[in-house]
Amino acid sequence: MNGNSFLDGRTDGAVDSRERLQEFCFDYCYWSVDPADPHHASQEEVFQDLGVSVLAAASEGYNVCVFAYGQTGSGKTHTMMGTPDSIGLTPRICQVCQWIIIFLEIYNERVRDLLRRGEQKKRASLRVREHPEKGPYVQDLSQHVVSDCKQAMDLLEEGIANRITAATHNHDASSRSHAIFTIQYTQAILENNLPSETVSKINLVDLAGSERADPHYCRDRLTEGSNINKSLVTLGIVISALAQNSQMSSSCQSINSMASEGDGSTVGSHSSSLSGGGGGGGRRHCFIPYRDSVLTWLLKDSLGGNSKTIMIATVSPSINSYNETLSTLRYAAHARNIVNKPRVNEDANVRLIRELREEIDRLKSMLLSFEMQRNPSPSLSDERDGILSDIVLQNELKVTYNQRLGCKKILIL
Amino acid sequence: MKQSWRAICEKFTNAQNLTEVESLHDPENDPFRSKYKARELLREIYCSLKKNSPAGLRVAKLGAVEYYLGVNHVDTEELSAGQEHLMNCVKLLEKCRVSSDNVSLFIHVRNQLGILWAGRDETEEAQGFLETAESIYQRYMKEVRFELAYTHSMYYLAQVYKNLGQTERAATYCHSTLQRQLQLNQYNPMEWALNAATLSQYYITKGRYMEGRHCLAAATVISGLAGEVPSEAAAQESETECERREQLRQKRAEIARCWIKYCLNLLQDAKKLLEDNIGELDTDRQEELKNARRLEEEEEEKGRKSALLFGSEDTFDSIASLEEKVHCLFPLDFTEARAVFLVGQNYITQAKDYFQMDGYVTDHIEILQDHSALFRALAFFEEDLERRCKMHKRRVDMLEPICNELNTQYYLMIRRQLMFELAETYNEMMDLKLTLANRQADTQSLDNHTIKKFNHLCSASAKYFQMFLDSLCSPEGKFPEHLEEEVLRPALVARFRVARLHSRLISSSPPVQLDNLNRALENYKYVVQYCEAHPEAGAAVETELELSTEMVGLLPLKINRLKARMAANN
Repeated sequence: MNGNSFLDGRTDGAVDSRERLQEFCFDYCYWSVDPADPHHASQEEVFQDLGVSVLAAASEGYNVCVFAYGQTGSGKTHTMMGTPDSIGLTPRICQVCQWIIIFLEIYNERVRDLLRRGEQKKRASLRVREHPEKGPYVQDLSQHVVSDCKQAMDLLEEGIANRITAATHNHDASSRSHAIFTIQYTQAILENNLPSETVSKINLVDLAGSERADPHYCRDRLTEGSNINKSLVTLGIVISALAQNSQMSSSCQSINSMASEGDGSTVGSHSSSLSGGGGGGGRRHCFIPYRDSVLTWLLKDSLGGNSKTIMIATVSPSINSYNETLSTLRYAAHARNIVNKPRVNEDANVRLIRELREEIDRLKSMLLSFEMQRNPSPSLSDERDGILSDIVLQNELKVTYNQRLGCKKILIL
Repeated sequence: MKQSWRAICEKFTNAQNLTEVESLHDPENDPFRSKYKARELLREIYCSLKKNSPAGLRVAKLGAVEYYLGVNHVDTEELSAGQEHLMNCVKLLEKCRVSSDNVSLFIHVRNQLGILWAGRDETEEAQGFLETAESIYQRYMKEVRFELAYTHSMYYLAQVYKNLGQTERAATYCHSTLQRQLQLNQYNPMEWALNAATLSQYYITKGRYMEGRHCLAAATVISGLAGEVPSEAAAQESETECERREQLRQKRAEIARCWIKYCLNLLQDAKKLLEDNIGELDTDRQEELKNARRLEEEEEEKGRKSALLFGSEDTFDSIASLEEKVHCLFPLDFTEARAVFLVGQNYITQAKDYFQMDGYVTDHIEILQDHSALFRALAFFEEDLERRCKMHKRRVDMLEPICNELNTQYYLMIRRQLMFELAETYNEMMDLKLTLANRQADTQSLDNHTIKKFNHLCSASAKYFQMFLDSLCSPEGKFPEHLEEEVLRPALVARFRVARLHSRLISSSPPVQLDNLNRALENYKYVVQYCEAHPEAGAAVETELELSTEMVGLLPLKINRLKARMAANN
């Protein structure tokens, strides 16, 4: 690791017989393998860098989203949740806020309430919906009001205990689901001297382990991984990625000269192709019937527009995890470009431009004729205004009043 | 020997059963339980074979077991071990000749290695394995048994080509995969239909409407094979029926949305071909294209169709008859355009029926936006200006209420799009009203009513552009000093348009005129000043900047004249 660059190199020929260095650049890089190491980055340090900017943004009325992604065992949960001795980002943020908390888990595209109380079928999946006033929400998800940080921590622990974990040969407790812990708070503000409120959300997301190879799991379209899907069930993903990429590059020379939407694919299927009517240049917009994964959908408003997003990628220092580490780094690097920014498309409106040019020409010629009629003698400069008004009356074609006739004659320029 | 062979076969059957059937029921907190058991059995088989089989046959059989062990490890996320087993299989098979017995294994193991390497982003390695698999198939294909393996190879190759950026080839492989699925009757109708509909969108973005239409027609026909939608009553009774009802309705609605895009793009592309340099229909070009079309029609159809047909005997006809209901060639006049419009509108209704506002806000609005775009495209072909204006009015009536209904925080992006579209639509209507009025009058007079109407439309347009600009403000109401890249151009264009609109407002009162001109100047100035302060912004709005600069220079002249006149009249 070198400052903000992460160099990933292999020197032995154990599995891959390549010797090369790969470099990735990030906003921050932390080395936390050995606490005794002088470069060791503590939970506190991570909070100072990232947590504080999260809180600052939220207090300004932005929605914030923090993702943790990486191989199982590389430190995601440590970073996001931590342990009682070494608390992570989420509890630290909770210490500063007091608000409404929801905690849900997404497993195999099904949503589960991690803070459910009482009788609820274990497998029941909650429905995600969108309401014009309320926005996107999970139906029947329990909300918990907290007024101090201990309450928040208790909820966090309760939810964690309810997460689906599994023991496989590789790991003792691998998390096979995404977990989203949302802190929502309402801030009373004065808008134009009237009391109003803004609602801000902080979403803290612990993404499932990155080495999953489940063929039935439709990888989030948060990024276009190059993983080949085995099952023909996922033919749709391939075709939709084709269509999406093709849509991106189908534009001809456009009057709308905005930069392209980052490399490769973007998050969300059709939401990024929202257009108000075709645009002036020539990009063909289509509809890709691939439902966003539940994760992407729920965090839609966090992934673009009025939000700030932070992604933390955790990697193992072990040489055996080279491939997974590389994969994680690629994913994270790519994620920087995924921000979903639906465009406003506008008309070329060539007619308007032409008409305006014509008006400009008319005004210019008027200016010219005025100057030609100008008396060259400086002694008459005092009377210039008088002359000016005469000229105006003679040359002005814009509006004439004919009060005798009781109607207005107007030549629109 | 025989008995031991039978025992081995039984064990193998068990292992397969565990892998394919039992594993589906494994609990969430122990998801690989059955596969671990299967692995044990496979290992036992391996040992037995090694000890007991005659040497010659042994190699191929061991190879098979290595294959299954490889797949087992990959499925349980132990990729390195999986790769080892798969490579062992390849090495063992190299010692055998390819025969009809083992060719399927030859193909399968390479498919698996292809997937594995692709998963490591080593797309070229992956391609190597998969193309070998493909060529083995080509050489030995005779039996239906391998068809599915080949279908998979094609599918994996499609993915590899996509990753390599060879989209045209990838699309062809996807298309072939779909074709084969139909021919082999190995498909789930609803899934197949959705995939075909998605592929149609790829074709549409490439402007290949004939292929796109074929995919869509096939999608519609095959989706019908998925059966009846369970009634609401049935859905209430059972959770599975409820889910099934949701699934079917949703997917059919999504196919409808793909059709909408087909109609919309066809109309828009036709418009681009036919428009002159001010965006009106060029009758000469229209004549030209109509003549050209007559000549090309037949040739094209024959040429392309043969390679691409979907379907089986029962479905060919239904697909063809659906295709006949809508053109794939560009509409060149109002009648043809209207026909396409009506097909699109029909699908709008279908789609809206499922994607209702309460529950599917974003989808519902996208559909409305498409409907608005359909009207806009059709308006281009409409010669009668009065009717044209009515079409734009339909758009406003559709979008205006929605814009005001949405939560400003959650739907910020969508609202911005709607505001911009409403602003432009009102502007369009304003221009039409003026043109109509000017045509009617021989003397150039406008009556009060027309002026009022014109001003109303003008103000409405300005209002929505201003609303768009206001939406960029911070929660405290402050306009940003620096405009983000994705709103830069729309924001500057909005300013420019507001300026222009204010200078077009009609008033008989000089103070009001003065006020309008001042506001126009203010907005033109903003554009110029912003671009001065942010030099890179100029590139995004070249024309608007140029014109704004001119106006900043010339408007003061007009303003001064007006002031002078006002002074003179007092």
